[in-house]
Amino acid sequence: MSIRDSRITQKARNSPDGFVIGGYLFSILYAFLIIIPLYFVVISAFKNNSQIITTPLALPSAFDFNKFLQAQANVNLLRAMLISVAVAIGAEILTLVLVFPAAYAIARMQTRLAAFTEAVFSLGFLIPSLAILMPVYLMTAKAGLLYHPIALVILYPAFSLPLSLVLLTSFMRKLPRELEESAVMDGGNVLQIIFYIFFPICMPGIITVLVLNFINIWNEYLFALILMDSNNRTIQLALALLRANQRTVDYGLIAAGVLISMVPVFIVFIFFQDRIVSGMFTGAIKE
Amino acid sequence: MAAANQAMPADHEVYSNVVYHRRIVHRRQITFFWLVFPALLWFLAFMLWPLLNMFYISTTHWDGLALPQVSNFPDNFIRLYHDPNIPIALRNTGIHLLFGILGVLPFAFMLGFFLSLHKPGYRILRTIFFSPSLISVAALAMIFLGLYRPAGVLNSFLNTVGLSSLTRVWLGDQSTALGALIAIDIWSGIGFYSVLFFAALTNIPEELYEAAMLDGAGYWTIMWKIAFPLMLDFFGVVVILQFLYILSGAAQIVILLTNGGPGSATLTLGYYLYSQAFLIQRLGYSQAIAIVLFIIGILVILLIRRISSRLSY
Repeated sequence: MSIRDSRITQKARNSPDGFVIGGYLFSILYAFLIIIPLYFVVISAFKNNSQIITTPLALPSAFDFNKFLQAQANVNLLRAMLISVAVAIGAEILTLVLVFPAAYAIARMQTRLAAFTEAVFSLGFLIPSLAILMPVYLMTAKAGLLYHPIALVILYPAFSLPLSLVLLTSFMRKLPRELEESAVMDGGNVLQIIFYIFFPICMPGIITVLVLNFINIWNEYLFALILMDSNNRTIQLALALLRANQRTVDYGLIAAGVLISMVPVFIVFIFFQDRIVSGMFTGAIKE
Repeated sequence: MAAANQAMPADHEVYSNVVYHRRIVHRRQITFFWLVFPALLWFLAFMLWPLLNMFYISTTHWDGLALPQVSNFPDNFIRLYHDPNIPIALRNTGIHLLFGILGVLPFAFMLGFFLSLHKPGYRILRTIFFSPSLISVAALAMIFLGLYRPAGVLNSFLNTVGLSSLTRVWLGDQSTALGALIAIDIWSGIGFYSVLFFAALTNIPEELYEAAMLDGAGYWTIMWKIAFPLMLDFFGVVVILQFLYILSGAAQIVILLTNGGPGSATLTLGYYLYSQAFLIQRLGYSQAIAIVLFIIGILVILLIRRISSRLSY
C-alpha cells in the first residue's frame, strides 16, 4: 500500500524481529484484558444470577431475555433512552447553530479579534467540570429548570463548544480562499455564504462534530445526576439506579442495562471509527 | 524623490482611502462580533460565569438552597486548612494521579508505536484498544462492579487457579479499594492514549525511520531514539488530558462505586468536593475545595507545558 509497508516487508524478510513478536504478545494480552470484562457483561445479561457466579465466563446455555424485561420494569430504560435521545438531538442542533457561524468567523474572517476569541474558547479545555458543578446547579435552580431535560439541552452545548469549534475551524482553514470571494462578487451576504456555501462543503467536519458530541452527550453522567430527578432520568442515571435500587446485587439486571445503554454508541463507532479517532486527536493537540 | 511625489495621490484622496479602509475593517469586526456572539454568550454564561460564581460562593456560609447565604470570608479557607480530610483527599488524589498517569504513559506509547508500524492486524487491535473509551463512566463502574464484587469474576478466577488466599472484597477493603479504582482508569487509559499516540506517530515522516534502518537500527532503538524525542510535546498533551480527567472526571467512578469509602480510602479531592456540595450541603465550603482543585489544575498544567516545551528544544 505505502512506502511504510514495503519497508516493513523488507525488514521482515531479513529476520523474525523480536520487537515485533513482543509487540504482538503485549498487544494481544492487552486486547484480552479489554475483551474479557466486556464479554463477561454481554453474556451475563442473558444468564441467571447463580450461573453468573458459578460459571462467570461460560456462554449462556439459553438466551434468556428476562433480565431486560426486569430492567425495563425496574427503572423504565426505554423512557430513559427516549429522554437521552431527545436531549442529544436538541443539544446537537443548538451546538451546531451556535458553533458554525462562530467557526466561520474565526477561520475565515481576517481580524485581530479572531485569535483572541479562539483563545477565550480554548480556556474551556482547562476548566474542570467539578469546579463549575455547584454553580451550574444553582443557576439551573434559579432559572426554574431544575429536573427538566431542557436544562441539559441548554447546558451541554456549552461543554461541546470548545471541541466543536476546534474541529470546525481547522476544517474550514483548509478550504480555498476563492470560496467566499466568488460569492462576495455575486453579492451574497455573510449569512448566505455560511449557509449555502460553507454548510454543505463542511459536511464531513460537521459529521465528525455531531458524532463526537453525540458520544459525549449520551455518556454524560455527572451533570445529569445533579440536574435531573426520578421523573426525568437519562440513560446513564437509569443505569446507575439499577444497582442502587437493590439490596443485594442482581448482576444480570445490571448487565442487561449496561448492554442496552452501550448499543447506540457502539453502532456509531462501527460506522464512524476513523472520524472519531481523528476528531479526538485533533481536539487533543489543539487543547 | 520628486518622481515619487508625482506618483502620490492628492491629500484628500489618501484621506478618503484610509477612511474607506477603516470602514471596511470596522464593518468586518461588527460582522465578526455578531457571528461569534451566540457561541461566546453560551460559553461565558455556562463556563466562565459559573467559575466566577465558584469564587464568590466560596466566601460565604451557606448550608442549603433554602437557607440564607452569609458572607464569612475567610472562614471557609481557614476551615480548609484545619480540615483533617483535606490531607487525606490530597494524598489519595496524588496517588491516583501518580499511578493513573505513570501506569498509562509508557504502555500507551509503546503500543501506539507498535500500531504505527502497520503490522497485519493493527486495525482490529486499534479498534479493540479504543473501545473502552466509548464506555460511559456509569457503564464502566457497573462492568467493574461485576469483576470486583465478592462473588465477582476476579475472585472466581483466583479461586480457580488456586490462589484463594488472595481473594478479597476489592472495593470494600481499605488496602485495595483505591487501587481497584485506579486500575479502571489504567485499563481504559492505555487503550485511548495508545490510539492517540498512533495517530500522532503516523505524522512522523517515513524518511526518518528509513534512514535509521539503513544504519542498522532496530525497532526498539527507533522507538526510543527517534519516535520518543519527537513525541515529547505530545507526551505533554497526554499528561495534561489524563491529569485533568483524574483530577475531576474520575470522581464519578468514586460516586458510583465506593462513595469515598471504605473509611476514607477512596476519598479524593474531587469526591470530597462533590460530597460537601451535594450530600452534606455545605455549599460555601464545597466551593473553597473547588478553588483548591481549580488552582492545582492550572498550576500543574502550566508546569507540564513549561517542562514539555523545555524538553522539546
